[in-house]
Formats: sequence, C-alpha cells, structure tokens
Amino acid sequence: MGIFVWLEQTWLADWVRVSVLGYPLMITCHAIGMAVMVGLASVVGLRLLGAFRSLPYSALDRFFAIAWLGFGVNLLSGIGLFASQATSYAVNGVFLTKLAFVFLGAIAVAYLQAAAVRSPVADAAPPSASVRAVAAASLIFWTGAIVMGRLTAYL
Amino acid sequence: MEAIFDWIAATPINSFVLDSAWTWPTLETLHFIGLCLLMGALLVMDLRLIGFERAIPLKAVHSLMPLAIGGFVINLVTGVLFVFGDPHRYGINLAFQLKMLLVLLAGLNFWLYYAKVEPRLATLGPTDATPPLAKTVGAVSLVVWFGVLAFGRLIPYIGTG
Repeated sequence: MGIFVWLEQTWLADWVRVSVLGYPLMITCHAIGMAVMVGLASVVGLRLLGAFRSLPYSALDRFFAIAWLGFGVNLLSGIGLFASQATSYAVNGVFLTKLAFVFLGAIAVAYLQAAAVRSPVADAAPPSASVRAVAAASLIFWTGAIVMGRLTAYL
Repeated sequence: MEAIFDWIAATPINSFVLDSAWTWPTLETLHFIGLCLLMGALLVMDLRLIGFERAIPLKAVHSLMPLAIGGFVINLVTGVLFVFGDPHRYGINLAFQLKMLLVLLAGLNFWLYYAKVEPRLATLGPTDATPPLAKTVGAVSLVVWFGVLAFGRLIPYIGTG
C-alpha cells in the first residue's frame, strides 16, 4: 500500500487532482487514445472475422503503429489519472477488472499483429481458427474494458 | 430556449433516461463504444484519403463506411437521449455547443466528400494517389471529429454556466 500512498503524494497526482487543467486534460487524452486503440482494434478484429473482405491484411499493418500510439497516450494519461487517487483505485474491484481487460486486449492485439497481419497470409484466404478466436476475444476484451472503465466512475 | 428545455424535461423520454440509475451509465458506455467504431473506421478511411497507406485499394476503404455510419447512429441516438435527460445542463454548456458546431462542420465535410470527392475516386485506379481535395477533406474530417470527441469529453469542465 506504501507505494500507492507515495504515488498519491507526487506532484503529478497533485496536479491532476487540484489544478484546473490537470484532470480535464488527462481524461480528454484518455478518451482520444481509447478511440484510436479500440477503434483500430475493432477494424482489425472485424476484418479478421470476415467483414470488409476487400481490405488486404497486409495494408492494415501500418495502422498498428497508430493503434499502439493511442495505447501509449492512454498508458501515460492513465498513470496520471491513477496517481491522483492511487490508494482507492488500487483496491477498486471494478477498476482492477478494467485493467485486466486492457492487459488482455493489448496482448490480443499484439498477437493479431504478429500472427495474422505481418505473416504472409494470402489476402483471399480466411484466417486460421485460432486467429479468428483471438480476434473475437480482442473485441470482447476491449468492450469489457470500456464497460468497466465507465463503471469505475459510478461504483 | 428555456421553454424548449422545460418542454423536453417534461417528456416521457426524460423520465425514461432518469428513472433508472442504470440508464445513464449504460447510455454513456454505448456512446463510448459508438465513438470507437466511428473513429476507427474514420482513421483508416481518412488516412487513405490523405495518402498514408496507398496499398489499401480505394474501393476497399469505402467498405468501412457502414461501420462509421453505424457508430455515428449509436452516438446520435444515445446523444439525443442525454439531451432529453438533462436539457437545461446541455443547453447552456459551451463545450456542448462547440461540439455541435463541429458535428455540423463534419456533416458539411461529409457532403463535400459525397458530392465532389467520391465521384473523382471512382475514376482512379485502386492504389492511385488521391487528388488534393480528397486529402483536404480527409484531414478536415480527422481534425473535426477528434475535436468533437475532445469537446464532448470536456462537457463537464468547460462553460458549465
């Protein structure tokens, strides 16, 4: 618990909690990063499940870099938001469930990037059953992250 | 305006949104999911228009349009319900007014896309470079929609009256 107490007393936590700019800036960056990461993960996931068949997998590759940029924005803004109330977030079951969903979603996207998009798959061929399973799981994980993230504000 | 807000607040839709404690958070969650679908589809479509990834065939990128429109419709419906649930709050809110102005701009930009850009794209090869107007419309779309997202998220903090 000591580390969360310390985190909550850092200048960053103080700035997010107290200043006029801190919290609105962090929460807005967090929404933008979410739109980029989850939005692109949705396009990739739906594509691998059979939607937008004319989109070549190989052409989606460069969008992963943008998706990870969005993820990075949310990692940084998320650290700021977490620090501002570290001791309560650290024991908040709803928030920790969200964090688990984000972790699983990021692993799923990394897997899809390596296994489906970067490997030389014929664009006409349907992806393997395991890739489709991870694509579906990715959509579920990110939906779960959004649901639990929103609920964190209420519960 | 005040009379309109009062009328909205007296509708059954207002009580539908407010009567259960679960309705508002559920609508917010759907609004977040809708914005992710809209922005994800827009990022791929607009960046192709700008010229970021020419390996994507122009026709293929257009196949994402139903996803963008689907996300927008989810957010239109949930957004209208927010306004019906709390008309007095949104009516005077500066961030909300700026957000609506940007949505209007995005709509005009979308019209420009369908009227001027789409017919030109139809004459191009699948991996051709796009004309300057297409690049402009793509860039304006991204800037304006991310603006919509930012002002939407800032509703609780800017110009709350």
